[in-house]
Amino acid sequence: MGRRAVVGTVASLAFVAGIAFAVRSASVQGAGLLFDSATWLVWLAPFAGVLAAGVTKRKDPVIEGERVLRHDDAAILEHWAHGIGTAVLLVSGIALGFLFVPSLLGAGEPVWAAMNVHFVAVVVFLFGTFYYAANTALALKRFAEHLPTRDAIDYTRRHYGLLLGFKKLTFPPERKYFESEKMAFILALVSTVVIIATGLVKVAAHAIEVPGWLLAVATPAHDIATVAMLAFFLAHVFFAAILPMSWPVLRSMFTGYVPLDYARHEHAGWIAELEGREVTDVKGSN
Amino acid sequence: MVDKDNTVVPAAEATGLSRREFVTGIGGTGVGLVLGGLLVKGFMLPDEVYAIPASEGYLLVDTKKCAGCESCMLACSLVHYGRENTSLARIQITQDPFGTFPQDLQMDQCRQCPYPACVDACPTGAMHADAATGARMVDERKCIGCERCVNACPFTPSRVQWNHEDKHAQKCDLCKDTPYWNHEGGADGMQACVAICPMKAISFTKEIPAQSEQGYQVNLRDAHWGHIGFPTDDAGKIVPQPAPAPAPAAK
Repeated sequence: MGRRAVVGTVASLAFVAGIAFAVRSASVQGAGLLFDSATWLVWLAPFAGVLAAGVTKRKDPVIEGERVLRHDDAAILEHWAHGIGTAVLLVSGIALGFLFVPSLLGAGEPVWAAMNVHFVAVVVFLFGTFYYAANTALALKRFAEHLPTRDAIDYTRRHYGLLLGFKKLTFPPERKYFESEKMAFILALVSTVVIIATGLVKVAAHAIEVPGWLLAVATPAHDIATVAMLAFFLAHVFFAAILPMSWPVLRSMFTGYVPLDYARHEHAGWIAELEGREVTDVKGSN
Repeated sequence: MVDKDNTVVPAAEATGLSRREFVTGIGGTGVGLVLGGLLVKGFMLPDEVYAIPASEGYLLVDTKKCAGCESCMLACSLVHYGRENTSLARIQITQDPFGTFPQDLQMDQCRQCPYPACVDACPTGAMHADAATGARMVDERKCIGCERCVNACPFTPSRVQWNHEDKHAQKCDLCKDTPYWNHEGGADGMQACVAICPMKAISFTKEIPAQSEQGYQVNLRDAHWGHIGFPTDDAGKIVPQPAPAPAPAAK
């Protein structure tokens, strides 16, 4: 078993143990919510993420024989910490009720358990997100490669037009990330920023006196950003995990590598960049 | 291939601090501050003292007088939310169709406890004592819906309810915050349930009642009660005095 598998297994077990502890502590007589008793972990997680990024040495994508390193260990860690944190936050948050959605949990211990689970996910989510943010601050090119270009609409139309069977279209030379992914990234970025800013206000209310008007703004903003995040999350899971065409990339989120043949077809622009060539786009009669 | 992320931060060129050193410093300082603060709070600061002012008003009831019409519940909902819904009432009238008088009916009003477990249980300060009147009330904007206050209330049914429509805890505020009533409420004003009760079975006092079931259950049966033929004492031994006959009309 490789080092990455060991670390992943340990981290997963720790997360499951945290969730189990969160659920269990909700039924302990006299125990407060984790948001009350362990608020400090919420403040610690972002700084821990930044510190971890500071001591992380990244590896750039590189062609290694018949495969391409797409994600280094840091990318895998920040993706799964952010992703799993988001998934658990969405499930627990929606179950607790928000906007017009009623609570699915009734009252008492199930509600407290969901809040405690939300807490554990908050810590993981904050660590992963700030780890990503700090890593990005250290290499702004990683941020730039996530942003849509002027090709966004044209590439997306051709890419998904071909998938839908419009044979006269030609496959665009997508770079490391599809242009459609880059547009979705903007939605994820904005919703993440709003969720974190408003969420931290809500957490602060557990520790200090926060003005009522601020919470009256933060709570609905948190809820609306949740809807945006849910939309992104569902689309991301569908296009990045369910569609068979994306399975090589899904696999690379565990192994780090994608096959070179796959990358040449799906990410021709990216491979051209890695090989130091000009990106050429053969446009069909579209 | 290893990133060369040792780009010098322009603003910090004078210090020669690299971007990586800057990020690591921010992270390390933050971790140190949080853990240091935790240690200071845990070992060096004294325990927090929990003190809360007493309420300046209390509702008293006479269940033997209550007719169970639920006007108080409807009025409570109306003045607070602008709609009549017994599920939104903060005073509860519960009736047992199989019970016998006087155990067939219960009036469950908030007791504005001197030690309010609901306030103590609230994690965000949403449940608080009003600074002006001491009435225990909910700042709905701060409520996170954990319902610990509902659970913490030592009485059954809980004197704190979950507002299922607007999704927040609610409880009797002695009508301090009544946007749909053009009367001044609160400990120095009127209370809708007291004002509306056709049986005059609810009253208001500024004196802290004895902290017992009897402290909040009082005899509100006055002479008028006797005039309509009901006993005015709990044992029913005082013979009701009929109302004096009306004077003959002058011719």
